[in-house]
Amino acid sequence: MNDITISHLRKVYGTTVAVDDVSLEIPSASVFGVLGPNGAGKTTTFKCLLGLARPTSGTILFGGKPLEPATFERIAYVPERSVLYDWMTVAEHVEMTRRAFTSFDHKRAHELLGMFHIDPRRRVRVLSKGMKTAVMVALAFARNAEILVLDEPTGGLDPINQRHVLSLMINEAAKGNSVVFSSHQIGQVERAAEQIAVIDCGRLVLEGLVDDLKGDRKIVEGIFPDTTFTLDGIANDARVARSDRTERILRLMVTAGANDIAAKLTAAGAMGVRVLDLNLEDIFLYAVSPATATTDIVAKGTTS
Amino acid sequence: MNYVEWLRIRNCLRVVAIILAIFVLLAVVLRVSVARYMSPDAWIEHFHDPGTTVSHVVLPDGTKRTILDNAAEQTHVVIDDRGQQGKHIVVTEPTARAHTDTKHVNVGSIQVQESRHGSLTTTTIDTNGSVPMLYYMAFADLFAIVIGTFLAAPLAREIDGHLEVSLTKPVSRARFAVGAIGIDVLGILGTSLLTVVALYICQLLFETPSLDFSGINARAIAMGIASPLAWYALLCALTTWLNRSWIGVLAAALPIAGVVGILTLLPTQNVIALFIHDTAWVISRLNPLSYVSMAVPSDDGTVSYRPDNFGLRFTLEVMFFVVYGAIAVWRWQRVEA
Repeated sequence: MNDITISHLRKVYGTTVAVDDVSLEIPSASVFGVLGPNGAGKTTTFKCLLGLARPTSGTILFGGKPLEPATFERIAYVPERSVLYDWMTVAEHVEMTRRAFTSFDHKRAHELLGMFHIDPRRRVRVLSKGMKTAVMVALAFARNAEILVLDEPTGGLDPINQRHVLSLMINEAAKGNSVVFSSHQIGQVERAAEQIAVIDCGRLVLEGLVDDLKGDRKIVEGIFPDTTFTLDGIANDARVARSDRTERILRLMVTAGANDIAAKLTAAGAMGVRVLDLNLEDIFLYAVSPATATTDIVAKGTTS
Repeated sequence: MNYVEWLRIRNCLRVVAIILAIFVLLAVVLRVSVARYMSPDAWIEHFHDPGTTVSHVVLPDGTKRTILDNAAEQTHVVIDDRGQQGKHIVVTEPTARAHTDTKHVNVGSIQVQESRHGSLTTTTIDTNGSVPMLYYMAFADLFAIVIGTFLAAPLAREIDGHLEVSLTKPVSRARFAVGAIGIDVLGILGTSLLTVVALYICQLLFETPSLDFSGINARAIAMGIASPLAWYALLCALTTWLNRSWIGVLAAALPIAGVVGILTLLPTQNVIALFIHDTAWVISRLNPLSYVSMAVPSDDGTVSYRPDNFGLRFTLEVMFFVVYGAIAVWRWQRVEA
C-alpha cells in the first residue's frame, strides 16, 4: 500500500513554475530518496506535500485521504534549514514537541540528543548548524511518526552523525514507517534509499527502485574506424534511451539488453565495444544533465 | 499547541514583574525614609508652638487621638491616627487664616473638605479615602499597551522562520492563531493585574487602600482592559500582513500613533493644515487608543468625567479587537512557507 500518493502536482510562483506535473507513489515501510540539483523543486514538493504551500493543481493523498490537521500526528518533518527558536533551549523544544504530539517519546528524544552529543540545557542560538539539524532530527525521530519527511537531514552533520541519521532512517523503514528524504549526497541516498525520484527544473525526470535503475541501465560505447559509420537503426532501438556521437565514438545509454546492443555495434563495424556500469551518481547526472554525464562516465573509464 | 507563545508570555511577565518590583522597592525605600514623619508626634515636635497644648487619648477602638489647642490663635486640631486605616484630621481655625482655594480636593486617597461657619473654617483631612481605580488603571493601561505592543506579532514571528514548526502541528491554522492571540490576551491582562497589585502594595506600605470601583472607575477598568487588547489586535493584523517587517511595525507603532494624534490637534488655519488635520483625524479613527480618553470636553471649555459616549467608545474598542483579530487570523490561514 502507498502511504503517499502525489498526482500531477504543479506549483507556480508568479511566472516561475517550481513544480510541474510531478506524480509519485511513495510506499509504506520504505526509504524513498528524492534527488535533484539546487532549485529543482524538491523542497517545494515537500512543502506542497505538507500543506505549507498550496499546490496550483494536483492532489496529494496520505493513505488515500487528503491532508488534514490530524494527519500531522502521523507525519514528522525536518526542513532543510533550521526552524528552531534561537531564544529557546533544546529542552524547551523537546517540551514543545511533547505538548504538540501525543505519540512523542520524551525519553527517546533525550536518548537521540545524547547520541548527537547535544546538551538539552543549551540555547539554540549557541548551537552550530549541524547541531541544529541534529536537534530537528532527534525531535522528528522521537515522534514515533508513521511518515517522516526529511529535507536534507544530514546538512552540516559530521560523517559519524550522518551515518547515525541514515541508520535511523533505515530502522524506521524496518519498523514499517515511510521515510521520504532529499539529499545532495548521492552516496547517502544510494546507501539508504530503496526507491528514488529525480526532479529537475520542477519535473520528475526519473523514478524507480535503486537496484532496478542500477541493474538495467548501462552505457554501451563503440569506437569505429572512421567517422562515416552507419548505425543500421541501432539508435532507434526502444532500449536505447540516448545516443551521443562524437567523431569516431558512439555512446549509447541503454535501459536493458546492453550485451545485445554491444553485439549489434560490433556487427555494425565497431573496432572496440565496452559496456559500462552506472552507479546512482551516474544515473542522477545522466537524468539531470545527460551530455555532461556520458562524457564524465567515459572519462572515468569504469569498464566492466 | 501554543507552548512557544506561553514561553514568550512567561518571559514578558517576568520582565514586567522585575520592573514593578523595582517600583515597589523604591516605595519601600520611600516608606522607610519618611517613617519618622508619619506619626502626629513627629509633626507636633516639628511645628510645635509654645502656646499650644497637646493632649493624647486612646479611643475604645484603638484610635490614637491627639488634640492640639491654641487659644491665642483660635486654632483647634484633632488628629485621629488609625494606623494602617489612615488618619482623620480636623482643623478649626479663623477663616481669615484659612486657605481659600481648597474647598474640596481629592488626590488619591487624600480627601480634603472645607466648610465655613461664620468666622471659623473647619478643614477635614482624611488620608484614607477611597482611591479611584482610575489612577490604578492609568498605570495598568500604560504597561498593558507597552507589553501589548511587544507581543503583537505572534503570527508574524512564526512566519519569520518557524512556519514549518507551527503549520505542521495537528491543529487547524485558525485554532493555532486564535490560541496564540488568546495567550497574548492573557499576558496583557496579566500585565494589567500585576501593575494594579504592585500599586496596591506600594500604597499598602503607607496605608490600607480602599479602592473605589464605582462610576468613572468602573468605566476606567472596562476601558483599561479593552483598549490595550484592541491596540494589540490592530498591530497583530498589521504584523501578520507585513510579516517579515514586523519588528519595524512594532517599533514604529506607538511613535506613529503619537504623531498622528498630535496632527489631529493642528489648528486648521489654512488649506494645508486643514488637509493634514483631516487626514490625521481619519487615520486616528482606526486607532483604538483614540477612544481611550475618559474626559469629556464641555462647550464652556471645561472637562468633565461624565459617561458620555462611553458605551459607544467601549463597543468600538471591542469591535476593533474582534475585527483586527479576525483579519490577522484570516491572513494567517493564507500564509505559505
